[in-house]
Amino acid sequence: MAKTVTVVIDRSDAGAQRRFEVPVGRRETVLDALFYIQNDLDPTLSFRCACRVGMCGSCGILVNGGERLACRTALEPLGPVVELAPLRYFPRVKDLVVDFSAFYSRYRAVAPYLKPRPAVVDPVVAPPGSGLREEIDLGLECISCGLCLSACDVVGQVPEFLGPAALNRAYNLVADVRDAADAERLEVVGDRRRGVWQCHSHMSCVEVCPKGLAPTRAIAHLRRKLVAQAFFGRRPRPVPSQQRFAEGAR
Amino acid sequence: MQIEQVDLLILGSGGAGLFAALHAYDTNPRLAILVATKGLLGKSGCTRMVQGGFNVVLDPRDSLELHFTDTLKGGRYLNDQELAWVLVHDAPATIHELETRVGCFFDRREDGTIHQKPFAGQSFDRTVHRGDLTGIEIMERLRDQVLARGIPVWEEHRAVELMVAEGRCVGALLLDIRQGRFVGVEARATLLATGGGPTMYKISAPSLEKSEDGLALAYRAGAVMRDMEMVQFHPTGLLAGAGRVTGSVLEEGLRGAGGRLYNALGERYMARYDPERMERATRDVVSRAGYLEIMAGRGGPQGGVFIDVSHLGADFVRKTFPGMVQRVRDVGFDLATGPVEVSPTAHFHMGGVAIDPDGHSSLPGLYVAGEDAGGVHGANRLGGNGVAESTVFGRRVGDALGQEAAALPRGHLPPQAWEARARHHRRFWERKGGENPAHLLQELRQLMWEKCGLVRNQADLQACLVGLARLRDRLEAVSVAGSPSYNLRWSDALNLESLITVSELIAAAALLREESRGSHFRADFPQENDGEWLKNIFMALSGDATRVWTEPVRFTRQRPPGWEAGKEDEAQHGTRVAPGTV
Ligand SMILES: Cc1cc2nc3c(=O)[nH]c(=O)nc-3n(C[C@H](O)[C@H](O)[C@H](O)COP(=O)(O)OP(=O)(O)OC[C@H]3O[C@@H](n4cnc5c(N)ncnc54)[C@H](O)[C@@H]3O)c2cc1C
Ligand code: FES
Repeated sequence: MAKTVTVVIDRSDAGAQRRFEVPVGRRETVLDALFYIQNDLDPTLSFRCACRVGMCGSCGILVNGGERLACRTALEPLGPVVELAPLRYFPRVKDLVVDFSAFYSRYRAVAPYLKPRPAVVDPVVAPPGSGLREEIDLGLECISCGLCLSACDVVGQVPEFLGPAALNRAYNLVADVRDAADAERLEVVGDRRRGVWQCHSHMSCVEVCPKGLAPTRAIAHLRRKLVAQAFFGRRPRPVPSQQRFAEGAR
Repeated sequence: MQIEQVDLLILGSGGAGLFAALHAYDTNPRLAILVATKGLLGKSGCTRMVQGGFNVVLDPRDSLELHFTDTLKGGRYLNDQELAWVLVHDAPATIHELETRVGCFFDRREDGTIHQKPFAGQSFDRTVHRGDLTGIEIMERLRDQVLARGIPVWEEHRAVELMVAEGRCVGALLLDIRQGRFVGVEARATLLATGGGPTMYKISAPSLEKSEDGLALAYRAGAVMRDMEMVQFHPTGLLAGAGRVTGSVLEEGLRGAGGRLYNALGERYMARYDPERMERATRDVVSRAGYLEIMAGRGGPQGGVFIDVSHLGADFVRKTFPGMVQRVRDVGFDLATGPVEVSPTAHFHMGGVAIDPDGHSSLPGLYVAGEDAGGVHGANRLGGNGVAESTVFGRRVGDALGQEAAALPRGHLPPQAWEARARHHRRFWERKGGENPAHLLQELRQLMWEKCGLVRNQADLQACLVGLARLRDRLEAVSVAGSPSYNLRWSDALNLESLITVSELIAAAALLREESRGSHFRADFPQENDGEWLKNIFMALSGDATRVWTEPVRFTRQRPPGWEAGKEDEAQHGTRVAPGTV
């Protein structure tokens, strides 16, 4: 007899089936279980995915109460009964599918895009170890999956809080020698109500990040920058050396 | 039905769709642009899944001519040379823009300049990357810039039909997946950037939401298609049992760095297929070799072959390929210290909609960029030229749209015409207890893998067409029930329809091409036949029939080695038009 796991799903329709018996092999993930249920047991189940290899951040859900990517969570070790539910604080679309507006409204607030400095016209020369990129590299691979937001205790208490991912992005840009908007961004993240001072360093975001990033570290850096700015004012940043591109390739 | 009006409708939010949106917006900020995408903004699609990286000439010792020649050689000279030249020529400026305007930051060399790594089929190490998960950086940053400009995006709205009036594409019918209802969008210009995605094979790599929708839509709307037989299989798709991770790609850089391939007997079998280039031969060659080893019974426990990079040193592997190491660890193996079982996996569709260098298709009002377009890669795509294509052409077609779209006429269709198409896609709701589209998809994948896969022959391809016709009949027996909101079974039915349509074109073109070239291999015609087949196969729907014809490749920039000038003139005149129905 193949081994089975009982999967219990928080459905949006209170009358819909919630418990399913799913056969499980060694390499199957929670996402595979969802496909099996939807294909063969209950076609009305809704869930979301795209890449299925932990790159797109579309498949975040609560697995036994904790934030996980369904595609990177092995099913078998989770035990005989597995409970699945949609992420916290995100408006639900249907079943396990949520609306990412909760994520983007916060993310957008920090102006999450590079605003290039006019003095930087070519790619920056950044030898490994030069200190130009090391801190940024540690926080770069965010896939905007929203797990950190769902796991953040502060968001529950202070809904305006910008949350870990947006602050992590803000730090990456503030630390980027190519960017011209550090002042306006620091103002947003320094806001008493929404900004970095709300973080209690519970580290829940660090625990759930599927990419091993530490938004709390970015938040600590931002706080330091804010303090330094308050004491010493803004310091002009040197223009980095650049890799010359041929005129035609600019 | 709600019918919206915009100037420019962009279908798809991968590299091509988003870069086009940025450039169209920056060229003409007053253009009313709407991006509609089947998945989430910037998260769906395969640009997001790019691992290895992006081919571009940056080093003074390299040259555009070398990259161009590599691309044509890789494509076995079936490429549209003007498109291939644009790819090579615009790639440096695209990387420059990604780094200095969009906000990407790629890996650096010791001297601090942009690092370029080795990939297969290339005469110079020219692949730019961010670790071994490059697509995340490219898509996150493109997405950021779309947010910066406030360009409207409708997520989880899939195009189900391009609407045509008086010979023009006048917009698209979209299904709002969340609400389960249809919305019409009238547009002066429509850009198709849905990223192809040959997911009609048992083992395949693309993101799971992709189903060749763009190609099916364009074909139904009457656009000219080309090179449909050319489907690329990547040699190293991970095997993970019945799990959905199966088919995901272990990146090409592993072979570029010196990774070796073994069969179950421990033989380094590439020595038999390409003793000179070995594992660094192009994908078509390496994939077929793996497939033939597996078919000859020299496969492993999961029916695959093995990639081994452990001799490069565990530390080097962990540092250079952290994403791949993690993925392999997820399924219970260790890439850094031992062999990992892999199989060829359907990866990319070289065929697609015929375009000119600014993305115009044969259908006025319809523009195409990225994997939906055909011609750039010929019979086989080089690793690293795919994301280059989607960004280069997205950018360029975005410029063209910024200049042209506002002046294009706005076509109109009566509401009944929109309703009629919506009804067609709702037909599955009228039945009860019918076929399960998820099961039909499985059957389709098995059929295409066996009969129209890496090694083809006439009898199999004929059987494939018969099988496809049967699946098409059974599609008409599919039933869907429950709430229309986020109904995945309905999605499956719509995906199945697109995939069957495109599979028919692949099989028909594969039957016609009686030779082997690039990724198309005919066991009954195992040789490349330059005399007869330096030709492209074109297809277009006209009325109820499919027009199929061939045209000799125009060598506008470079002739294949050994090709004589006189022969070319002869071939130009000898255009063969083979009408027929698919
Ligand atoms: C696993 C993997 C790894 C790869 N690695 C590399 C690499 O290292 N180097 C390289 O050069 N190339 C690589 N490629 C190829 C590369 O990803 C593609 O060539 C390229 O990114 C395609 O870009 P695109 O913009 O055309 O489509 P995509 O990026 O796939 O985007 C398509 C978009 O269209 C949407 N869409 C689909 N259907 C519809 C519809 N009906 N209506 C509306 N929207 C729709 C999708 O949701 C998505 O948003 C890889 C591909 C895969 C699958
Ligand atoms: S499906 Fe992409 S991260 Fe899980």
